[in-house]
Amino acid sequence: MTREELNLRRLMKEANHTQLNAYTRRHFLKESAMGLGALAFGSLLGSCGSKPNEPKQIVFDPAHPLLPKSPPFLGKAKSVIYLHMAGAPSQLELFDYKPELEKMSGQDCPESLLKGKKFAFITGVPKMLGPQAKFAQHGQSRAWVSDNLPHFSTMVDEVTFLKAVTTDQFNHAPAQLLMHTGSARLGKPSMGSWVTYGLGTENQNLPGFVVLTSGGSFPDAGKSIWGSGFLPSVYQGVQCRSEGDPVLFIKDPNGMERDLRKATIDAINAANEQEYAYYNDPEILSRISQYEMAFRMQVAAPEVMNIDNEPQYIHDMYGTQPGKACFANNVLLARKLVEKGVRFVQLFDWGWDAHGDGPQNSLNIGLKNKCRSTDKPITALLLDLKQRGLLEDTLVVWGGEFGRTPMLENRNGVKSPYNGRDHHTEAFTMWMAGGGIKKGFTYGETDEIGYSAVSGKVEAFDIQATILNQLGFNHEKFTYDFQGRPFRLTDVFGKVIHDIIA
Amino acid sequence: MQLLKISQFLGHFHPVLVHLPIGILVLGGLFHLLSASNRYAFLYPAVRITYLLGAIGAIVSCISGYLLSQTSDYDAKLVGLHQWLGIGVAMVALLLYVLLTLRVNELLLRLLTVVVLISITITGHYGGSLTHGSDYLFTALTADVSSGVAIPPVANIQQAKAYPQLVEPLLKNRCYSCHGAEKQKGKLRLDSKDFMIKGGEGGPSLVEGKADESELIKRLLLPLDNDDHMPPKEKPQLSQEEIALLKWWVNQGADTHKTVMDLKPTPEMSAILPLFQSGAVKPKETKSSLLDKEVEAAATEALKKLKDAGVVVLPIHQTSNYLSVNFVTTDVTPALLDELKKLDKQLVYLELAYTSLNDEGMKTLSSLKNLLQLNLRGTAITDKGLAHLKDLKQLTLLNLVETKVSAQGIAQLKDFKNLKSIYLYKTGVDKQGLTSLKTVFPNSSLDTGGYRVPTLASDTTVVKVP
Repeated sequence: MTREELNLRRLMKEANHTQLNAYTRRHFLKESAMGLGALAFGSLLGSCGSKPNEPKQIVFDPAHPLLPKSPPFLGKAKSVIYLHMAGAPSQLELFDYKPELEKMSGQDCPESLLKGKKFAFITGVPKMLGPQAKFAQHGQSRAWVSDNLPHFSTMVDEVTFLKAVTTDQFNHAPAQLLMHTGSARLGKPSMGSWVTYGLGTENQNLPGFVVLTSGGSFPDAGKSIWGSGFLPSVYQGVQCRSEGDPVLFIKDPNGMERDLRKATIDAINAANEQEYAYYNDPEILSRISQYEMAFRMQVAAPEVMNIDNEPQYIHDMYGTQPGKACFANNVLLARKLVEKGVRFVQLFDWGWDAHGDGPQNSLNIGLKNKCRSTDKPITALLLDLKQRGLLEDTLVVWGGEFGRTPMLENRNGVKSPYNGRDHHTEAFTMWMAGGGIKKGFTYGETDEIGYSAVSGKVEAFDIQATILNQLGFNHEKFTYDFQGRPFRLTDVFGKVIHDIIA
Repeated sequence: MQLLKISQFLGHFHPVLVHLPIGILVLGGLFHLLSASNRYAFLYPAVRITYLLGAIGAIVSCISGYLLSQTSDYDAKLVGLHQWLGIGVAMVALLLYVLLTLRVNELLLRLLTVVVLISITITGHYGGSLTHGSDYLFTALTADVSSGVAIPPVANIQQAKAYPQLVEPLLKNRCYSCHGAEKQKGKLRLDSKDFMIKGGEGGPSLVEGKADESELIKRLLLPLDNDDHMPPKEKPQLSQEEIALLKWWVNQGADTHKTVMDLKPTPEMSAILPLFQSGAVKPKETKSSLLDKEVEAAATEALKKLKDAGVVVLPIHQTSNYLSVNFVTTDVTPALLDELKKLDKQLVYLELAYTSLNDEGMKTLSSLKNLLQLNLRGTAITDKGLAHLKDLKQLTLLNLVETKVSAQGIAQLKDFKNLKSIYLYKTGVDKQGLTSLKTVFPNSSLDTGGYRVPTLASDTTVVKVP
């Protein structure tokens, strides 16, 4: 820096300083007048629109995190049973009947369907594949259901089909995360966590959000799809088992009296209370209340979770296999839990990924067997909820994470001896029943080969928004503050599907 | 975009602003005319400034009115008339101010004053026509307002022409004011079939033969608090029968010439038609349901006692004073039931499933007259207990699953008009009882359950690899 420059800098600094000295309080007030006025006007205008009866923000009470709360609006549903067929069932072999696809079966896939598209496994030009099941229309609503689901086809007048569900994820884990947490990446709370955070649960002796899995494996996205994300950890799904003890280590060890257990928990809680007095961390209060709930659960859970005391005809209806871990047992458990006031029951059944790369993954063997193991229990669930009057306020949702291609999968360019379909994001079928959803209704339509949605296109966010709506939430106002901003289950998306609401 | 919003915003002030020049100019005119008499001559000096203020008000109104006319879809002819008359009023008022300053012939001034007063009245009338519909002013005199019927009674309903005598009057009285010749909200007109098929911003409003796909019908059926519901929440709503009429007309092809008989009324429609003949179809009351009525908050003491006992007591939603009570993990005791009595105004949903409630306890329920849903599943109640419910006429849902009640017991509730669902699985109601109950409750769904899912060969076998 030259001397000249340095002098110039000093001069500028001095001038600036002098100028600032001349700046008085009067200046400040004068210049603020407009800004203050605008602020005042803003708050005045703001008060015009808001109603005095605006629903309140949900308050998290760490000492009683699961106490039941009123929904912001009057909802039609009180609880949810969500049946997720992990691996993605083929809509083309179950609900979306496409006679045109049959005519094209065996032909090369037109290039227009492949251009610019990404598939998980399909390479080159695959062949089209017609429906691998026989279809018929059922009920008064004349809904198409394939012969893979002989029992469920009698229930079509109770459900609303969503024929044009779409997603933007073509791999299992991200697609499952999107379906249940509203984000294809890890870290967001699951729907069940949001719901128990917002509504608590009626039965304080049981968890509010129960997860049951079957099919021999966890869903690909792992436990994150029932995780609580950034919500307090008490809202994560509690995984229960239908074989052996419903919750691991729920029984007291041999020789331990209930009184001694109580004394243990009291001692632990006393220690935790001291910790709380010292650190003031609300999670400690949650911990205390969780210990207390666990103690109550030791009595309540085995009773509810034990399906043995159900009458034989109920077992016959569901097709249960007592003592084994299976979907039918889980479905019966789901009904029992909802009956006892559990808010959200999430079932995952693994094994629907019919690529055709092996017999158990094929449309003609594996898929048919998956249908056989779920058709009767799901039908029984709907009928059983109905006769008990529970279907009025229990929302049942069925679906996978995406759909399957109208094309035959040609993994590695090789023709497999088994028929299968690849992952497909542009159209698949889900259904909902009960909880204020229309009966015997179909929403959305796919093109004549079931490749893409033509009308009534919905995405995961719309389904989440609709589920929250039925429970009495406006999904746009149901938020949780985290990292300095409010978060929603539906992020910045989602529209309630009003057309399917009764 | 922002600019457009601001102009829209300012435009919305027009309905407020117009009243300024009206008031000021009428006052000025009165002062002017009155000051002709000696008694009120002292008012004369005030006239000039009043006209100036009135003229300024009129000019501001004109500007805001112009902005408003740009944002909404009004009948161009009416808007034009209103606009030019309004500008005329502003100009004449300004002229009056100038002439008063110049002290010209007083007679001319008075004449101009009369002109201002008359034109302001006409302008105001057109303005009213724009917002409320052109027949707004005289509907009170012409239409049969006392009964509020949208469709005037039709003498011979079977021979009546469906469109001109039923559908058209209905649309006219409920829709035209926003979707007619003068105003086309959402660019939609409903005052002829062609307009309906053409539709508005949201696409066609009418699909012949397909009520489910017709926006006209879909919007009527949306829940009242849905933004897309029509007519808007605050306007008179269509009754069930009127909606059924429109739906039927659309489903039968939306013909505008045929008679009711030619359009082949469905059984449902035949049941409703006599109501249109007698004019007995009343418009839907917007506050018909109990939950829409205000109620005071429940006694906090009773709430506390119940909550302390572990009973789940909750407002049905965050801003309601109505309550739902669930004995989910707590058993009933006479003391707790007595506390329930104190909530008789607020308690609408009550769950007593699998509690030790018996016929004796049912007595305390008899005073809960606002109950809408009652769940008595798995309790020891019998027909005797049901007798205590006879005053709970608001009930819409009654769950009696796994109780000992019989058809005779339930028949005691025969005049429960709102009872929509009765759950009777595992009760003493047999097949015969169910048939008799169906005649007692023709509009309710009665579910005796006992469903079975047959076991097919495929349920217990698997498809093997060939």
